[in-house]
Parts: sequence; structure tokens; C-alpha cells
Amino acid sequence: MAASIKHHLFFPHPPVAVWEYLTNAELMDLWLMKSDFQPVLGHEFTFKSNPVPVFEWDGIIYCKVTEIVPFTNLSYTWNLGPGDGANNLESVVKWELRPTDKGTELILEHGDFALLKHISIFDAMNAGWLQNMNKILNRLNETSHGATNV
Amino acid sequence: MAQQMFDAFQVIADPSRRQMLMLLSQESRTINNLADHFDMSRPAVSKHIKILYGAGFISIEDIGRERHCTLKQDGFNALHEWLNYFDQFWTSKLKKLEDLLNNKFPN
Repeated sequence: MAASIKHHLFFPHPPVAVWEYLTNAELMDLWLMKSDFQPVLGHEFTFKSNPVPVFEWDGIIYCKVTEIVPFTNLSYTWNLGPGDGANNLESVVKWELRPTDKGTELILEHGDFALLKHISIFDAMNAGWLQNMNKILNRLNETSHGATNV
Repeated sequence: MAQQMFDAFQVIADPSRRQMLMLLSQESRTINNLADHFDMSRPAVSKHIKILYGAGFISIEDIGRERHCTLKQDGFNALHEWLNYFDQFWTSKLKKLEDLLNNKFPN
């Protein structure tokens, strides 16, 4: 019952131009969030966005670079929460760049949600809510596919 | 609804509460029956039940002297909202990235 958020974009620019915007903290701040990101494997950093009180969220995302292949692949963990491990929202963000004749395809996958792994233990159940959960996930996947045309 | 998302996550993050949901997926149970499955104090069980109830994962009904717990949909729906939040988050961020790149490097 894996679910992830996927976005597929195309830029009429070479991968090096797109890569800059994914890996230079100053440029990332222009479209994503403030961070102390560095393009170094194992580097731990945070994204800082506005706190969302209704979420009980301080707006901080705790990350660690887990994969970096210049101009091709970038992955980092994406964890929210107080940092005590108990209530953290753990997930992984993966970027993939594919050069084409006319530019660069950019694929974002935000997945590996720890909470969905927990949900998978309920797979054996046949209660009504599980069917609904599947419906929800299917709808989510459709939504993600829809975003392909962004 | 946003608050509910984080409540939902708190529910799922705890192994005892996950097991309680498993047990309740088989059949509705009394709080006493649930407590029999766990090696923890009665107040500790009650605390978990309260969290499950508060996050919309179960309903509680008094029948005679017993309190009966039944699975409820709302908590599970909240998990979907949480994913939806990030989907929209990325949609808006990536739009900004597109605008930025296309302005900087016009075709």
C-alpha cells in the first residue's frame, strides 16, 4: 500500500541550470525555503518555513542528504516533529534529473512515509475503513498523475 | 482537520495503539477486554483509548456497566489530508521554481 507524491516537470534548460536551483541554498530560498543545505553526502540540515500553529508544527523540517550524484540524483530525508523520535513525521524526498534533446526532465518523489509503513500492518484487515483507505490512496495516486502536466 | 492530521500520526506512531486498532479491527471490544491484551496499568490503557478517541479512530459506547470501543473512519481520513497537504505544498513550490527558471533563462 505504498503511496508517494510524484511530480514530473520539464524545463527547456540544461540539467546544470536546474541542478543549481536544487542544490544552492541561496537559490533554493527563492522558491523552496530557507535552509543550510550543502551538496555533501551525509550533510544534516534544516528547512525553515513559517510555523503552522494549527498543526502544532514549528515549521522546521529536519533533513539529511542520503544520495547525491551531480546533475542527476539528489535525495534527502524529510522529517518533521519535535525531534524526540516519537511523533516525527518521517519521509524521503528524491529528485531525479534526466537530460533530453530540448532540456531537462525533473522528477520529484516525496515518499517512504513512515506512517504509511505502519498502516501496512493493517493490510490483513477486511474492515470497511481499509477499503476506504485504499480508495483514498488510489485517488491520491490519480492526483499525483494529474500533476504530471504541471 | 489539520490538528487531526497530527493526532492521527501520533496514534499510528505508537505500537500499543496500533495493536489496539488491530484488535478492534477484528471486533468491537470493551475497554476491559482490550486491557487484558496488554501488560500495562489500567490508567495507561485508558490514556491510549482517550488518544484513539480524540483522534477519531474509535467511538465509545456505554452498554450496561461496560464501555465498548468500535473502529471509526475519521482518524484514517485525517492521514489522507496530511499527504494531501504535502502534495499541494510541492505543487505550489514547483510552480515558483518554474517561474523562476523560465524568467531567468527565457526561451
